[in-house]
Amino acid sequence: MKNGLVLFLGVFATLALSWAGLLLAAHKQIGNLAQFKDPVEETLNPQPLSGLADQGRLVYQDLGCVTCHTQQVRYGENGSDIKRGWGERAGYARDYLRDRSVLIGSSRLGPDLRNVGKRIPEADYFYKLLYAPEATVGGAPIAHGMPAYRFLFEERSTAGRQPSYKAIKLPSSSAPAAGLEVVPTPRAEALVAYLQSLKDTYDYPTERSLNAPAEHPKGGH
Amino acid sequence: MNSNDQNARAEQREIDASAKWPVLVFLGSALLWLLLGGVFQLAASIQLHNPAFLSDCEWFTHGRLAPAAQNALVYGWGMNSAFAFGLWLMARLSATTLRHGGWLFVAAKFWNLGITLGIGGILAGYSTSFELLEMPRFVTLVLLVAYAIIGVWVVTTFSIRNTESVYASQWYLFGAAFWFPWLYTIAQVMLFRAPARGVLQPVVNAWYVHGLYGLWFVPVALAAIYYFLPKLLGKPVSTYYLAPLAFWWLVISTALAGGSRLIGAPVPVWLPTLGIVAHMMLVLPLVIISMNFLGTLRGQTGAIGGSLSLRFIVLSIAGFLLSSVLGLALSLRGFAAVAQFTLLTGLRDWLAFYACFSTAMFGAAYFFLPRLTGKVWRSSALVQAHFGATVLGTALVLVGQAAAGWQQGHLLNDATVPFIEITKALAGWHAFNSAALGVLLIGHVAFLINFVWIACPFNSQGTPEAQIQNPPVLGLAAKEGHA
Repeated sequence: MKNGLVLFLGVFATLALSWAGLLLAAHKQIGNLAQFKDPVEETLNPQPLSGLADQGRLVYQDLGCVTCHTQQVRYGENGSDIKRGWGERAGYARDYLRDRSVLIGSSRLGPDLRNVGKRIPEADYFYKLLYAPEATVGGAPIAHGMPAYRFLFEERSTAGRQPSYKAIKLPSSSAPAAGLEVVPTPRAEALVAYLQSLKDTYDYPTERSLNAPAEHPKGGH
Repeated sequence: MNSNDQNARAEQREIDASAKWPVLVFLGSALLWLLLGGVFQLAASIQLHNPAFLSDCEWFTHGRLAPAAQNALVYGWGMNSAFAFGLWLMARLSATTLRHGGWLFVAAKFWNLGITLGIGGILAGYSTSFELLEMPRFVTLVLLVAYAIIGVWVVTTFSIRNTESVYASQWYLFGAAFWFPWLYTIAQVMLFRAPARGVLQPVVNAWYVHGLYGLWFVPVALAAIYYFLPKLLGKPVSTYYLAPLAFWWLVISTALAGGSRLIGAPVPVWLPTLGIVAHMMLVLPLVIISMNFLGTLRGQTGAIGGSLSLRFIVLSIAGFLLSSVLGLALSLRGFAAVAQFTLLTGLRDWLAFYACFSTAMFGAAYFFLPRLTGKVWRSSALVQAHFGATVLGTALVLVGQAAAGWQQGHLLNDATVPFIEITKALAGWHAFNSAALGVLLIGHVAFLINFVWIACPFNSQGTPEAQIQNPPVLGLAAKEGHA
């Protein structure tokens, strides 16, 4: 190889092939997916995020939750996602149309969160988890892999005024000193709204067969 | 030494003199980022076994610190050191001086400004959370413009070459010089400027990450290995005639292999399947490249100890082979069913980036710094410390992360094990990994101190005309041609 032009054309063709073959082809196939209208209920699925949950998505993004948490339920024999209760079914591409930025993640130092809103419907649990993770595993101050996010909360004195209705309930081991209450900031509220919104419960009749294992051929050897 | 050789040496000195300051500036900034990234990485690793560490400080919460560390290492250390090495080697192999080097200072300024802003942005909460593209959108243009200058310098240096033949290292450097900006621009456009919808975003992200490691860092490392191995051993690369085949086959397969990161993901299933096929295709270039490298090394193992650069280059070869084999294994569905989403996926990228690429850059730096500055390494104890720490640290990370990842995968797959038990089981391994990263960091500090000594212009050690000592065992001064 002595000719610079030939080298350049080859280098160009390599990346052009990769771009067209992977990204453009995938875009052609699923770039036009749209919400699915349920023929009976007449709802559009996936349902868009609420405004608060969409703000929470930005908090999720800015805190880098994706570093340790995935948001994908794998199909078939790829791991035990469904057995662990991380989803009732494998994820479909259509499920992700609701998210403006899709962070499916690639590390599971923490559990999968794709259906965490289905698993844990209570906001209280999430607040406890974010303020004092160890409080969610039985009260004793044992190690929990997740760091606390105390900066998402405000600790303030209740002296001389009524306690806030938003103050979170903590077991005595994690509670702040007497006379103080812990109140989530708007960012914490948005983040929890986002986490609660994470549930792919609608089963698309159009996609149901896609991730099913292929049928074994009948007869023959 | 005949007059021909003397001419060649004089020409090399001229080239080295023209490349001196741009290379030193890029390498100096690279080393600062290596240190900062290493500290961040160590802190992020400590957080994994001690979650309370720095958790009250929003800027250093794990989700921000870990990507900041990764970006500092990849764009700060990795890219800067690749620029330093690539510019120097391209000038050497093209037998032409590096001209108008002043522009490269401008590029270096802007590149490092962009990264500083980007990493500050990640820590301050402007992260995009897309792997290796976390830096906020506003730094994209700064980085691209700075890169444009550097890329243009590499390519023009190549196109005004004074040599008949084009050597393997030049193919890899030339290719990498084009692939990075294309990958980066496409990823930026398809994720942020005109974002693709839904799961196409992770597809673009996986394609970019795979491309950055496979079409930038690995090619630069291969350029170093192809250059230093024959040069330091004083013999031609064996079965070199197969190298062009390996080059094209390797880069085309790598370019198509990105989908293998998405096994089981909610994307069209042909994407991971194509990735698996492409990984299978990689076996052939791997065999050829192994024949090139190991064939050249055969019978010369005694010489490895004689040259520090060569020792690092051999480490880099090992890193290349290990990361390729692990990448191949991870693309297999059976292996991925255990290893996907575990520490093993991170280990694959770390092997490509650190064990293959970074060690090659260390080896290169130990070769070109004395030649550029005309001085000798002041402290051989620090040199030994750096090499020892690199070998030990790399081995510890490799063993620790591989064992931990394998255990993690099996525990994850056993649905009866509660998640908190997995976290507990991994805590010891995370502590082990922190120790390994600490060892690597000691090596980096040793290298930085030596670098400051050799690069500092007010250094009384050595004179500009100092003789470069070739490895005494090899005594190859006469054979040091262009290639």
